[in-house]
Amino acid sequence: MIVVLSTISFLVAYACILTITALGGMFSEKSGTIALSLEGCMTVGALCAGIAMHLLPASLPNGLSVLIVLLAALIGGGLYSLLLAVASITFKADQTLAGTALNILSTALAVTLIKQVTKTDALPAGQSRLNFTRFYEMFNFDLFGIQGVKFNWLIFIVLALIPIIYVVIYKTQYGLRLSSCGENPSSAASLGINVGKTRYIGILISGVLAGFGGLLLVTMNAEWEFANGANGFGFLALAVLIFGQWKPLSIFLGAFLFSGFKTLSVVYPSIDFLANLGISSYFYLALPYVVCLVVLVFTSKRNAGPKDLGRAYDKGKR
Amino acid sequence: MNKIKSFFSSFFKKDETKTVVTSLWCALLGLVLGFVILLCINTKEAADGMATILGNFFVFQNADDRWNYFGQTLAKTAPLIAMSVSVLVCYKAGLFNLGASGQYSIAVLVITFMGVAANWPWWLVMIGAMVAGALWSMISGVLKAFFNVNEVISGIMLNWIALYLVNGILTANSAIWDSSHSEAYKITDGSNALIPSVGLDRLFAGNSIVGLGMILILVVTIVIFVLFKKTTIGYELKATGFNPDAADYAGMNKVKNILVATAISGALAGLAASLQVQNGFTSWRLSSTIPSIGFQGISAAFLGGLHPIGVLFSSYFIEHISEGGSMITDLGFAPEVAGIITSAIIYLAGFVAFLKEMIRKSEVKDELRRLSRDKAVKK
Repeated sequence: MIVVLSTISFLVAYACILTITALGGMFSEKSGTIALSLEGCMTVGALCAGIAMHLLPASLPNGLSVLIVLLAALIGGGLYSLLLAVASITFKADQTLAGTALNILSTALAVTLIKQVTKTDALPAGQSRLNFTRFYEMFNFDLFGIQGVKFNWLIFIVLALIPIIYVVIYKTQYGLRLSSCGENPSSAASLGINVGKTRYIGILISGVLAGFGGLLLVTMNAEWEFANGANGFGFLALAVLIFGQWKPLSIFLGAFLFSGFKTLSVVYPSIDFLANLGISSYFYLALPYVVCLVVLVFTSKRNAGPKDLGRAYDKGKR
Repeated sequence: MNKIKSFFSSFFKKDETKTVVTSLWCALLGLVLGFVILLCINTKEAADGMATILGNFFVFQNADDRWNYFGQTLAKTAPLIAMSVSVLVCYKAGLFNLGASGQYSIAVLVITFMGVAANWPWWLVMIGAMVAGALWSMISGVLKAFFNVNEVISGIMLNWIALYLVNGILTANSAIWDSSHSEAYKITDGSNALIPSVGLDRLFAGNSIVGLGMILILVVTIVIFVLFKKTTIGYELKATGFNPDAADYAGMNKVKNILVATAISGALAGLAASLQVQNGFTSWRLSSTIPSIGFQGISAAFLGGLHPIGVLFSSYFIEHISEGGSMITDLGFAPEVAGIITSAIIYLAGFVAFLKEMIRKSEVKDELRRLSRDKAVKK
């Protein structure tokens, strides 16, 4: 029973991490900027949350601590994504290059800063692994009161956000303008829409949501190795985004496919039938990425992505 | 006097010069950022830290030590050059090789089996590594050419698959896996698979990791330079990169060009693995992150202005500060500061096109002003 419940708990949590990050990426890509830096934004969100969790005094009330950590992750992810916006919108840089740079920078930054805050007299070099058991207890509760089955509170926020994001994208003026900037920026501009500003906001939202995803990812655990960044979840989210064809509900469903294989890599030792097969753990770790590649083969032929994705907006161009 | 002046003005108008100038600016800004971060961490030691990063082997008092570590930096630059040329070849053909790390990993796997376990001659192992890298890279190429899968995404996924594949296969073979150090056994001295030192070690205080590899990579870089400058294949690749539809219309086979570009760049990533592992200095370490050399290759390629010759210098610069960065742990800094500097440089490299455009615009403005002034004088 505990195995089944904790499997479900992992499945839902991973799906929510992928969903919220991919939905963030959707805001960026629908406005016309490739969301390659999702992994970096997740890492920085996790980093800011990690530093907050490490530095906040235990005397602070739990509710306030949780709020500060949440805000740190959102603001961290958002500010970091602005670096992508500046490069790709203001300076018209190659978006793949800028995104890659931000992904590498995020891990280097995370390790350096976490080593800095974990420095003690006994450990002068610091360490890149951070333990935050106190916050793990705050962010998670025992599902149905059963010991050993943890469930993260933040998952409910993600579930509440999905319909809101759906409405924002399809039913509000802002959402429709956002999509128009990714489809045909020149016509959008001719109707008086500020393409640059809309794209900036799209990227900012993607960073904030990715920061949230990063927070959910680390608080599922009682400690985190920051040298691993966001453990590749940002890249999987990007694949989920493409698999979901840039549509919120398809993204949510697609996230469960990838989450299923990711969960398998975590829970297979406790499932007797799988553990007895004697297959290397690395096989299960690689599985989500293999599935991703196969899925991309089938979904990439009909390209339903935003038409102007990846191109800098140039007023002079027709 | 006028001749010299006109020489200088035409020199500064050259596109290559602009690339060099903007690249130097990027490197400088990256270093300044690194210094600011060091200052934030520890104000007192920051200057020493920066001096160590920039000094690298110069920090040693003993001349032999200096030569030894200079040799080490050079030997470690060789694989980075191969990696950045790999990124460059793909970029010229309009593809982004983010999967270079995966190609490198697979090549390391092949080298470990052919070199450490089977003890084959070094050149055969090297060819094996290049073939392995090329085949792994061509998965991306085939997916791109036939299924329209974005090569950036497939490259990222293949990086992770390669990482787990190599971890899984190597750790399962006790004959080649040194579990006490959680790394594969290195290629030992006197093994057939070791790239010969051809006497170069004597130049660097007997540092045996310096060898034929350095000469090989120079030759390969020149071959790639000639490929793009003089040959039909190079021209077709470049044309496909500029405008795939126009190239297709002109009768250049798009599918063939994608496959050729990914194969060449994969082979180069395999060569990088060979130059890194076959000097007996390193081997595959158990890791949960993708090897960083692929990303360093991207920064070197862009910092080098996407030019085979420029890449030689930028690769050395990046390896130099990375090596220097590994020495600052003694001062209480994290070696990852060097990583911050290199990734900041890649980020800034994205601005190069914009900066060059700015320089061009200001030149046009100057030219117009001069013309109108000349007119006024004539009147």
